[in-house]
Amino acid sequence: MPELPKRKVGLVSCSGEEMAEGTVTRLATLKVLESLRPDATVTICLPLFLAGGEGDRAFARFYPTLAIDGCEKRCAARGTEIYSAKPASSIVVNELCPEAAGQLGTARRLNTAGVDAVNAVAAEIAGQVDRLLGVPWDRTRAEEGRASAATNEKPAATCSCGSGVPVRVLEIDGCEVEVLALPPILEMFRQAAKPPTDETAAEIFETVRLYNRVPGGAEASWKLALGRAYASYSAEGR
Amino acid sequence: MTRKTLIVPCSGIGKTYGTVAREGAHIVTEDLCPESTRLVPLALVVLGDKEVREALGASPAIAIDGCKLACAAKVVAESGGTVARALQVLDVYRRNRHLKPAGIAELNEAGHELAYILAEEVSDLADRVAAEEENA
Repeated sequence: MPELPKRKVGLVSCSGEEMAEGTVTRLATLKVLESLRPDATVTICLPLFLAGGEGDRAFARFYPTLAIDGCEKRCAARGTEIYSAKPASSIVVNELCPEAAGQLGTARRLNTAGVDAVNAVAAEIAGQVDRLLGVPWDRTRAEEGRASAATNEKPAATCSCGSGVPVRVLEIDGCEVEVLALPPILEMFRQAAKPPTDETAAEIFETVRLYNRVPGGAEASWKLALGRAYASYSAEGR
Repeated sequence: MTRKTLIVPCSGIGKTYGTVAREGAHIVTEDLCPESTRLVPLALVVLGDKEVREALGASPAIAIDGCKLACAAKVVAESGGTVARALQVLDVYRRNRHLKPAGIAELNEAGHELAYILAEEVSDLADRVAAEEENA
């Protein structure tokens, strides 16, 4: 059975360059990505929500996300919600380590208290990652809730300059549309030896819509495009 | 000097070059040109922070990006700022191939040296931008 990308938690750090707390978010996030939960987490640079393509903006619709912010401005949490989808959870350094506020060193050089804060925030992130992966996740609503169709792993980079969200471009109603998760979905149907019929196209559509926002009234066009894409894809494998 | 040139590094968290961009920006704004430059966190630009938007509207910016996606330059431009100069860390590395940076949380020695060279280039550009501003 082919595999859809594994459910991981997306970490979005504010990385604020102006304050020590921003450095704490960055280093704590890196510690989780590299050491504490490398197989369960991915990340994205916050500005990519604006500068990237649809695959980047869909990051938080694809992964349950955890926003890690340095201060009450909550740039990571707010930016993720505005440009992608509401984070599943969030951490603010100033709230997690209130006793250390203003005593963490500088943005460039953390002191001992700053390093302690990195470890505390990293531990909190790891705990929340475990919690998020222990509950069902509904990608279509970007909220904790009913179980999704997501299953096992496909390689996913830790950085979203290849966030691991596979995308394929289809022409739908004369427009080029990036369809998230389509490559593994097509492979899944092909390995299941599904024939390229209207019925299969409808099944593919139901899977695809878990990961994509389908505009109202465009269902038929999407099914048609997906049916064509699958017919072509399945023919390639013969 | 009435207006500080804004230095906007990418906040790249997934690549070494992002860390070099960040470190280089700190060197410029804290060590080399503290009086004439100001570090602007990209996250605040993304969020459309009022004070940052006003600063972008009033002063030229130098964007330092860690990868070809050029988030810093794009986001500054989309936020109404003027990207007076845009640098790619990779270009600086190509001119200094003996300094291969490594590490993201902590740069290696070559990475620190590359960040310093990057900072010197940014400082020169900041001087030129300031001169252009005065002559405009």
